[in-house]
Amino acid sequence: MSEVDTKTVESKIVEIVANQRRVDPAGLSLSDRLEDIEIESIDLVEIIFAIEDEFDIDVPQDRDAMKLDTLQDVVDGVQRLINEKNAA
Amino acid sequence: MHRVAITGLGCISALGHDANSHWRSAVEGVSGIGPITAIPPEKLKIHVAAEVKGFDAEKHFDPVKLAVIDPYSQYALVAAREAIADSGLTFDHGLHDDTAVIIGTGIGGAKTINEDSERIFGQGKIRTPPMSIPKLMPSAAASQVTMEYGLNGPAFGVTSACSSANHAIGEAYWMIKSGRARAAVTGGSEACLVFGSMLGWQALRVLSVDTCRPFCIDRKGMVLGEGAGVLVLERLEDAQARGARIYAEIAGMGMTSDAGSLTDPSAEGAARAIRQALDEAEIAPEGLHYINAHGTGTGQNDVAETKAIHLALGEAASQVAVSSTKSMHGHGLGAAGALEAVITARAIADQIAPPTANFTMADPECDLDYIPNAARSMTIDTALSNSFAFGGLNAVLAFRRLH
Repeated sequence: MSEVDTKTVESKIVEIVANQRRVDPAGLSLSDRLEDIEIESIDLVEIIFAIEDEFDIDVPQDRDAMKLDTLQDVVDGVQRLINEKNAA
Repeated sequence: MHRVAITGLGCISALGHDANSHWRSAVEGVSGIGPITAIPPEKLKIHVAAEVKGFDAEKHFDPVKLAVIDPYSQYALVAAREAIADSGLTFDHGLHDDTAVIIGTGIGGAKTINEDSERIFGQGKIRTPPMSIPKLMPSAAASQVTMEYGLNGPAFGVTSACSSANHAIGEAYWMIKSGRARAAVTGGSEACLVFGSMLGWQALRVLSVDTCRPFCIDRKGMVLGEGAGVLVLERLEDAQARGARIYAEIAGMGMTSDAGSLTDPSAEGAARAIRQALDEAEIAPEGLHYINAHGTGTGQNDVAETKAIHLALGEAASQVAVSSTKSMHGHGLGAAGALEAVITARAIADQIAPPTANFTMADPECDLDYIPNAARSMTIDTALSNSFAFGGLNAVLAFRRLH
C-alpha cells in the first residue's frame, strides 16, 4: 500500500461509504457532508473500520476522527495517515 | 408483599478486593484507573483500564478446582463469600431451599472464550479443553455460588449488557417481595479485560485514551473495568428478627427498553425506568436525595442521562445529588450495577455521597449537581442507581434508608 495515489484513495473511500449506506457511489460527491448523506456515528465507526482494513492504517482513537464533516475531510485524513505511515 | 433488606455486601474491583476497600476508595475519590497490564501494550491502541490488581486466584481457590472456574466466576465467588459472611446468614432451617441466586454478566467467561479462540484460530488446534463450555456459560457464576453454599432455590444468570447486574438484583428483589424466595444472593460479575474483547471495544470508539470524566466538557469516553459485586437480600422481617445489620432497603425497580437504537441511548426510555422505580418505592421527585448515575463518560450517555433525570424529576432534578463512580472503578459492564449498588447501599448506611472523580468542567448540556471530586456528607434517605445498556435496556434500582 506504499504507492497509493490520491485518485485511488478517493474512489476507495467513496466505495466504502457507498457500501455502508447501500447507495450508488456515482451519486456521492467529495463535497458531500456526512450529515447530509445520513452518516450517523455508528456508520462512521463502521467506515473507519473498513478504511483501516483497506489501507492498513490506524485511525487514532481520540475523538477527532468522529468530528469529520465532509467526504473530502475523510480523504484528506486518510491521505495524511498513509503519508505518515510511508514516511515512518 | 414483603419489604426487602440488604444485609450483606461483597465486592472486588479496581478499588480493592473487598466491599469496604471499594467503598472507602470511592469516598476518597481515589481512581483505580491505570495502565493495562493484562495485555501487552503494543497490541492495543487504548492503554488504560480499571483492572482488579494483585488478585492471586490460588489464594482463594483450590488449584484443582480453579481449572474449571473462569475469572468471571472467581470474582463472583469472592464477592459472594464476603457478602454472605457479612450478612451472617447460615441458610439453615430450610432457608437454603428458599434462597435465590441471580448473578448478571454481560459476556460470561470472556477469558475462556479468548483462550479457546487463540487455540483454534491462532494455533490451528482442533481441540478445546473439555470444560470450556461449563466455564464460559453466562450462568456459570450463579451455578458456582449455589454449589459452594448448597443453595437450592431459583438460580440463573441474567444478561442485558451494561444493565445485567441491575436486572439481576431487581429480579431477586421482586422474588423476595412477592414471596417466591426468602433470601437472595445477587449481583453481577465481569472479567472482560482480555485481548479479543478489548479489540472489540476499541473498534467501537467509545473508550477514552486517558481517563474517565463523566459529565465533563472534555470527556473522552468510558474506561473499561472489571470485578464483581454481590448483595445478600432478605425479607425485612427475617432480618429484623435475627438482629441483622441492615444497610438499606431495596424499595423499587424500574425496567424499560428503548426499542430504538443498538448504540444511541434514549432519554425517554431511561426516564420511564427512573419513574417506575420511584413509583414503586413511593418516592416523590423532591424526596429523592442521591443518584448513582450510569455516567459512563461517553459523549452520548452523559447528555441522554442528564435529560432523562430532568424528564423524570422535573424541577426537583436541580436539587438531587448525582455522581458517577465509574470515574473510579471503571465501567464493569455486567458487574457495573452491582459495583454501584454496593456503593449506593453504603452511601445510605454512612450518609455520605461519593464524588464524580477526575471532574474538570461540566458540559453545558450536563447541568446537574455531579458532586465534583469531593465526597459530600449529607442526608441520604433515598437513592437511585441507574443502568442503561447498549441495545436500549434500562434498569433502575431504588434504595431507601431504614428508619
